[in-house]
Amino acid sequence: MWKVFYDLLLQAYEQFGYQPLFIKIALAFIFIAVFATLIAYIVILVRRWRAYIHDKRLASITPKIEDLITEEVLLNEKLGIEPVDEIEFNQDAITDKIYKQKWVRQAMIDILISYRKNFRGEVGDLLRKLYIDMNLTKDSFDKMKTLRWEKKIRAVMELTQMDIQISDVTILPLTNSSNSSLRAAARNAYIQLSKNEPFKFFDIATEPLLPWDQLDMFKIITTTKDIQIPNFSRWVSYSTNKSVVSFCLKLIAYYDQQSAIPAVMELLNNKDHYFRADAIACLGKLSAEATEPKLIKIYEHQPLICQIEILKAIGQIASGRNLEFLKQELAYSANFDIRMNAARAIISHGTEESKAIVDELLETSYDENKLIIKHCLNPLIK
Amino acid sequence: MFGANPFWYYLTVFFEGTVFVYGIMLLLLYAMLAVMSFLNIQLYQKKESYTDYKVVVGSPLAPGISVIAPAFNEGLTIIDNVRSLLTFDYPKYEVIIINDGSTDDTLSKVCEEFSLVKVDFAYNIKIQTKEVRGIYKSTDDAYAKLVIVDKENGKAKADATNAGINASSFPYFLCTDVDCILHEQTLSKLIRPVLEEDKKRVIATGATLRIANSCDIDKGVITKIRAPRPFLARFQEMEYIRAFVLGKMGWSLINAVPNVSGGLGMFDKEIVIKAGGYDAASFGEDMELMMRMNRYCYDNKIPSAIRYIPATLCWTEGPTSLKIFMRQRTRWGRGLIQLVLAHRKMFFNPRYGIVGLVMFPYNFIFEFLAPVIEFLGIIYYILLIIFGQVNWPYAIILLIFVYTYSIMISTIAVLWDHLTSKYYKDWMDVVRVASMVFIEMILYHPLIVIFALRGYIFFLTNRKHSWGNMQRKGFKKSEAKPATA
Repeated sequence: MWKVFYDLLLQAYEQFGYQPLFIKIALAFIFIAVFATLIAYIVILVRRWRAYIHDKRLASITPKIEDLITEEVLLNEKLGIEPVDEIEFNQDAITDKIYKQKWVRQAMIDILISYRKNFRGEVGDLLRKLYIDMNLTKDSFDKMKTLRWEKKIRAVMELTQMDIQISDVTILPLTNSSNSSLRAAARNAYIQLSKNEPFKFFDIATEPLLPWDQLDMFKIITTTKDIQIPNFSRWVSYSTNKSVVSFCLKLIAYYDQQSAIPAVMELLNNKDHYFRADAIACLGKLSAEATEPKLIKIYEHQPLICQIEILKAIGQIASGRNLEFLKQELAYSANFDIRMNAARAIISHGTEESKAIVDELLETSYDENKLIIKHCLNPLIK
Repeated sequence: MFGANPFWYYLTVFFEGTVFVYGIMLLLLYAMLAVMSFLNIQLYQKKESYTDYKVVVGSPLAPGISVIAPAFNEGLTIIDNVRSLLTFDYPKYEVIIINDGSTDDTLSKVCEEFSLVKVDFAYNIKIQTKEVRGIYKSTDDAYAKLVIVDKENGKAKADATNAGINASSFPYFLCTDVDCILHEQTLSKLIRPVLEEDKKRVIATGATLRIANSCDIDKGVITKIRAPRPFLARFQEMEYIRAFVLGKMGWSLINAVPNVSGGLGMFDKEIVIKAGGYDAASFGEDMELMMRMNRYCYDNKIPSAIRYIPATLCWTEGPTSLKIFMRQRTRWGRGLIQLVLAHRKMFFNPRYGIVGLVMFPYNFIFEFLAPVIEFLGIIYYILLIIFGQVNWPYAIILLIFVYTYSIMISTIAVLWDHLTSKYYKDWMDVVRVASMVFIEMILYHPLIVIFALRGYIFFLTNRKHSWGNMQRKGFKKSEAKPATA
């Protein structure tokens, strides 16, 4: 049988040479297509099989790891009696040969991290000690040395979540990496791990701080315990990185840093109108009453986005000195969004005077403006 | 065959030569898309491996998103549909349901279930639509995110969506169908490419759609993903996987995505409004809007991008009756020819960058012309057979070549889909979908060609189009398992 098959192949090979070029190409592609299709199915099968095995192994090892954590950490009798650093773990348990396998060690790291997210204080510290005593730090630091950026990110995140110091020499260059994902992870790590100057990388940041990365960083800054919050106006004044300045404006507003108002006001002269809009929004959130005259003065020559931010800011400041201005905008502006925001700003004052203006406008305005005011007054519409 | 007449001889040579070059280009294009989509999926998967979307959920910096879903005579399922849309894991969003002049009890049912009352809503007409009769909000705080726009029927989804855009209050909107089932992280995952882009303005993002027909669904939430059992729906599942995971992911890498699906797409509201909104007269309103948004950005020198992600975030009911399927594909065919003619100035126009030089020519040559060339090819083949001009061994080799190549491309799409996620828990579902690639070319593809040509003919003969109703069958509810002792 093999001989027949071999002869057939030989015959086909001999005839192949006599075929026109397009048939040769077609035959070659048929072979490639069949081969690639088979490979694709094999890869699908193998991936599903590996995922199945991995899930099964993980399901079997997870209870063992959780038992270890429960016995050595959660139910540790010395907890609360001895300082965490002096508590010794059962060496037989933590040096079990099962914990020498790479995938088990990774599972251990993942489970320890998930526990540490839920436990702070001494239990959290003891989880960290278990991570160190099992020499899992080495696994994380080994990942830092790879060339694959996604592995580096995982390493940075593991070390950060276990509160393990990474030297400035290692982490600082990564905070300005051209890879945006790695850069974001390194910046977040730096804020959490640096005890003295968590925002030092703002000084050297030339690469942008993307809005997506700002979400995570904002959360880290506003929720990390014992973080030293600086005066963010420093970067508003001196940083040439627009995204850093824009982010600092949000932090200034969040921490209500009134001392930053002069620096923020400087940005009102910036040529980028998105940037100016951010600065105006910040002043509004700071309720910077002293800036009202300046905002009114520049209003006329601003693009729509800045005008709307000015109206919002006046509503937030709510000094009552510009109610007439708001009334004029509501009554005479041709732009719907301007009128809507002017109405909101008047209503947000919440004073007797503003209520009187609202009543007056409800009586004297034309139908569309009346509807705008009713819209803004309706508590069901947020 | 035509050797005696020089005119026919040269026509034959020209036709054969053109088809040969066209075929080679198409095959190379698919090979290129397979490579580009792989690179893009790998990049996406790497990012997903460490991303925690819970960060978005708790962030005050997340931009607001309006979810816009038109509804026409959806009284049977509207309550579950709305509940499903109210379950996103996202901090700042509103759900706008547009009752597009339903003649059934859609509006009254929603008003009763969600305690809705008509409000004095300052509706700003930024895009012209049919008259809006009223806007409703809930008196129950639990449904504060819900807005119902009641309007006269505009005989097009585009008109209803435009009304939703007018009523929306956030800078981005997600366009979907009310009966689509969306993943709870849809908003977080679709806003990510927008917030990750530094140098370009991302004007639209999309994700993979799948067919929901045989999935288990409970109160608007998918409890088990299955490959569709009806053959027609299963062919569509295969087609969607190839079009989204391989096609759009590939184009996304070079910023040349030709279309963001009407079933699921997130858009930059400002650009949409400036581009004029959806065109209610278009039969392919989603594709047409993308083209106009691109044109607007190029004309105004706004560096823009359209991004796709490979994750499946939307499940939609695919037509299982040939009649409805034919109506859908005929409409798409009409939409394509409308688009090609309306934007013909962009064809190989360097002023429109990659859109003019790659995206539009691709749409014209490989989407619009494909059914025409295929049809002519079949006619030509039949003539060759009649006149005894076929070299059968070579013809069979070439047919096997095309067949095996198409199987390879579709199988690669299934593999790429597996790289994204293991959607089907049961391996038999994989077999069900993968088996379609072997018969698709014989059974399904001819239908696509015929219905597209039907659309072209309807357009050229100016035949009136009836939108008709999708006649949805509804989804199978997952059965509650009895509690075990």
